Amino acid sequence: MSQRYRIRWTKEGRTRYISARDLTSVWERALRRADLPIAYSEGFTPHAKVSFPDALPVSYGSTGEYAELTFAAPITPERDIARLSSSLPDGMDILTYLKVPDGAPKLARMLRATLWELIWPPVDATELTELLHRRSDELMASDAAEVIRHRPDGDRTIDVRPAMLAIAASTHPTAGGDARTVLRAVLRNDGPTVRPTDLHAALTRGDIAEPALNRRVAQGEHVPEGLREALSGTVDPLVLDVDAEAA
Amino acid sequence: MLGTVPDRRAPAVPPRSRRLDHRRPGAAAVTPTSYWETIDPLLSQVRKPAQYVGGEHNQVASDWDAADTRWLLCYPDTYEVGQPNQGIQILYEILNERATALAERAYAPWVDMEALQREHGIPAFSLEHHRPLWAFDVFAVTLPHELGHTNLLNLLDLGSVPIRSAGRSVEDPIVLVGGHAAYNPEPLAPFIDAAVMGDGEEVTLEVDDAIRTWKRIHLGDGQSPGPDARGDLLKRLAAVEGVYVPAFYEPRYYDDGRLRQTVSVEPGVPSRVPKRTVQDLEQWAYPRKQIVPMTETVHERFSVEIFRGCTRGCRFCQAGMITRPVRERRPETIQKLVEDGVRDTGFNEVGLLSLSSADHSAIGSVARDLADTYEGTTTSLSLPSTRVDAFNVTLSNELARNGRRTGLTFAPEAGSERMRAVINKMVSEADLLRTAETSFSEGWRHIKLYFMVGLPTEQDEDVLAIADLGIKAYEIARKYGKANKVTLSVGGFVPKPHTPFQWVAQDPPEEIRRKLSLIRHAIKAHGGLKLRTNDPEEGVIEGLLARGDRRVAPAVERAWELGARFDGWHEMPTLETWMQALAETGVDLDWFSYRERDENEALPWDHLDSGLEKSWLWEDWQDSLTEKDLDDCRWSACYDCGVCPGLSIDHDTGYTGGFQLPVLPQGLGGGSEDLPTAPERYASGS
Repeated sequence: MSQRYRIRWTKEGRTRYISARDLTSVWERALRRADLPIAYSEGFTPHAKVSFPDALPVSYGSTGEYAELTFAAPITPERDIARLSSSLPDGMDILTYLKVPDGAPKLARMLRATLWELIWPPVDATELTELLHRRSDELMASDAAEVIRHRPDGDRTIDVRPAMLAIAASTHPTAGGDARTVLRAVLRNDGPTVRPTDLHAALTRGDIAEPALNRRVAQGEHVPEGLREALSGTVDPLVLDVDAEAA
Repeated sequence: MLGTVPDRRAPAVPPRSRRLDHRRPGAAAVTPTSYWETIDPLLSQVRKPAQYVGGEHNQVASDWDAADTRWLLCYPDTYEVGQPNQGIQILYEILNERATALAERAYAPWVDMEALQREHGIPAFSLEHHRPLWAFDVFAVTLPHELGHTNLLNLLDLGSVPIRSAGRSVEDPIVLVGGHAAYNPEPLAPFIDAAVMGDGEEVTLEVDDAIRTWKRIHLGDGQSPGPDARGDLLKRLAAVEGVYVPAFYEPRYYDDGRLRQTVSVEPGVPSRVPKRTVQDLEQWAYPRKQIVPMTETVHERFSVEIFRGCTRGCRFCQAGMITRPVRERRPETIQKLVEDGVRDTGFNEVGLLSLSSADHSAIGSVARDLADTYEGTTTSLSLPSTRVDAFNVTLSNELARNGRRTGLTFAPEAGSERMRAVINKMVSEADLLRTAETSFSEGWRHIKLYFMVGLPTEQDEDVLAIADLGIKAYEIARKYGKANKVTLSVGGFVPKPHTPFQWVAQDPPEEIRRKLSLIRHAIKAHGGLKLRTNDPEEGVIEGLLARGDRRVAPAVERAWELGARFDGWHEMPTLETWMQALAETGVDLDWFSYRERDENEALPWDHLDSGLEKSWLWEDWQDSLTEKDLDDCRWSACYDCGVCPGLSIDHDTGYTGGFQLPVLPQGLGGGSEDLPTAPERYASGS
C-alpha cells in the first residue's frame, strides 16, 4: 500500500552547492541510510520515487524547497521523517510534512507563488534600502519591466513585471552590530520563470551590487501580508519585523 | 555601487617565520583561520562548486587543538577523480581513529578555481575546515600514476610551501608521497621530503608516531626549535622502515650519462629502502566509513578490496609486480564490510576491488552470498575483472541478477599468441572466442576487449592480430543479435619500473599512432566493431616520469612554471609545454624513454626495494624474449621472484583450507559451461 508525503525542506550552508542533477542521488542515499521503504520506479535502472517541483539555482539558499516522496509501505511519519531529516547532509533539514490524501491537487498547484529574499552584505544599508524602496515602487507602478538575461546560448529578454505580486526592502541589524539590506519579493510561479537575478537586473541602474545571497524562503499562496506557506498554512510576512529580530 | 562588499580579502598568510604557533601539538596550537568565508562567495563563479565544500557523510572534522599531529591527505587531481581513491580513505580513517592525530583531505582545484584562489590570496585548503595547506604537519600525497606530478608542485605553491625540500624549515609541512608512482620518486626527489614504499596502513601510523615524538621534543609550548630540528625530523622519518628520504641519497653518474649508482650519504640510513607489506589484511578491514560524495565522482559505490597483490605475472603490469604477495580477505569479512557499508553509506552499488577480482579463491561463494543478500533490492554488485574465460562470464551472470546483462570486459592485452607469450598473458585465441561465444549466447549484448600496442618485440602482424581477433569476436556477436557490439580498446604501452619490461624502449607516439591506424584500417569494413584509443601522446610524459631520474626534476619544475597542470586531462593539452621544458632543461626524451637499457645499467630505482630481485626481473625479461611463459605461483612452484622471504606468509589465500572451488548455484545463467577446476581458472581457462 503506497503512501505519498509532501515535505518542505531546507538547502543551506554547504549544500547550496549541490546541483539539481546530483540532488537525486543525495536524497536516494539519505533514504537508504534512514532505511525507509521508498518506492522505486520500474525498469532496468530503478529510481527512488522522490520528485521535486522545480530546481533551485546552485548557490542559492532555501528554506522553501519541496518534495513528494512515495513509500512502498506505510511509515510512522513523526519518527521516520525525523530520521530521514537527520540522515540528510548538514544544511538539509525537513521542516514540515503532510500525508497526501487521495485526490489531492498536484503539489505544483499548491505552490503558486514564491517568497524570495535578496540579502546584501552589511554596507550602505540605509541608502540601499531607500533606493530599493523607490525602485520597487516604480517597478510595481509600471506595466512592464524588461531585462536581458545573459546565457551561454544567447541573450533573452524577459518581462519581470507580470510575475511580481509584492516587494519590500528593509534594513536589518546584523550580529556584528552593522546593518544590512534585505529585499523580499513574492513572485508568481506560473508563467515564465523569473529569478532573483532578473529582479535585481530590473532594480539596478548599474548602481546596486549583486546581493551576497539569494534565498527561497517559502512557497505557497500570495496573501496581503506576504505568503501563506503551502504545507503548514503559516504566513511568512513580506516585511520582516525588524524590531523583533533585533530583540 | 551600493551594497558592494569592501574587497573581501582572505585572511593573510603569515610569513614563514610566524607559522610555528599553528603547528604546536595539542592545546598549545593556535588554530589557523578557516578560508570558508572567503571561498563561499566565489563558488558561484566556478564549475562544479560542490567539489570544494566538503561536508559529506562520513567526513571527520576534528578540532585543530585537540590533535598533536595534523595530516592533509591529498590525491593530486580533481575531487571527481580523487575522492573514490581507496588509499586516501583508508589512511583518513585510521589516522582519524587515533586520539592524537587529525586528518583532513585536499584535491587539486580545477584551473578556474585556482585562478580565483590566486587572485584572492586563498591558499590550497582542506575540505573539512578549509584550513590552509601550510599549517599541517604532513602533506601526504598519493601518486597512483605519474601524471599528478605537476599538480603536486602546484598545490605546494598554492599552499604557500616552498617547492623544494631544501628550502623548507620547521615552519613547513613534511611533504610525503606514496602509491605506485612513489616506487620511483626520483623525478620528484628535490620536491618531496620523504616517500613511503608499499602498503600504507602500518607505516603511516609509524610515521605519525615519529612526528608526534619529534614535536613533543622540539615544538612544545613556547619552545623554539633549534637549527637542526628539521634535519632531526628527516632522520627520524628515515629510520621508519619503508620510508625513503631522498636528501639522504645521491645519484652517481658515468661520464656518458648513464647512472652508476644511487648511494646513501647519511650515516645509518639503509642502502636499499624496503617496501612495507601488510601481512594480515584481516587486521586492516578499512575503509569502513566511506565518504559519500554530494557531487558526481568517477566511482560512486561502496568498495571493498577483496584481496591485495597479484601473481599472474603479466610482465607489463607494475601493480601486479609491486604489490605481491597475494593476501586475501576472508569471505565473511567481505560480506560484513559490504553489509555494514551499504547500510551506513546508502550507496546502491558495491564494488569488489582487486587487481583481478575473479581470482579470489572463494569468489564464487562471495558472489553468491552477496547476490543472495541483495536479490530483489536496488543494490547492484560490480566486480572489476578482465579475465578471459567462461568462469568470468558465469560470475558476471551471478552479479547481474538484479540488473541487465549489458557489457562485459576482457583483457587479452595482445593480439597474437606470440605476443601474449611475450607479455605472459596466457590466453589462447580459442579461449577468447569461446568466452565471446559464452557471453553472447547467455544474453550479454556488448563485449569490450582491452589491448596494448607498443609492446616489446612487437611486429605489424602482432598489431594486425588485434584487428583479426576483434573481427572474429564480432562475427560471433552478430550470430546472437544484430545489435550486439564489440569494442576494441587499445592503449599505448608505457614501461614501468620494477617490472620485467623496465629495460625496454618505449614506442614514440608517432609509432603508436601508426600502429593504431593499422588496426583502424583493418576493421573499417566492420561497422559494429568499434575502436577506442587514447591519444598516443598521453604516454610520453607518463613514460618519462615513470623511468626518469633526478635529472628530470628540473623539467618537472619548469613544466609546472610554464603552466603544465592536469597532465592526464584531454582538456589540458600540456605536451607542448613539456617539450619546451625539456628543451630548456636539457632533458633528452629519446635517452630516457626510447632507449633500451642493458643488464648492467643501474636504474634510478635500484635503491628502492619492491621485494623483487633485479636478477629475477632480468631473467623474466629474457624469458619473455624467448616467449617462455611463467605460471602463477599461487598453484605452481615458487620461482623465487624474491618477495616472500622475510614475510611471515607466502600467499594468504584459500582460508577454508587449500584452494576452494567456486560453488555456484545450479542452472545459473542458463547453459553455462561446466565450472573449470581451480588450476584451470587460474591459468585463464586453458
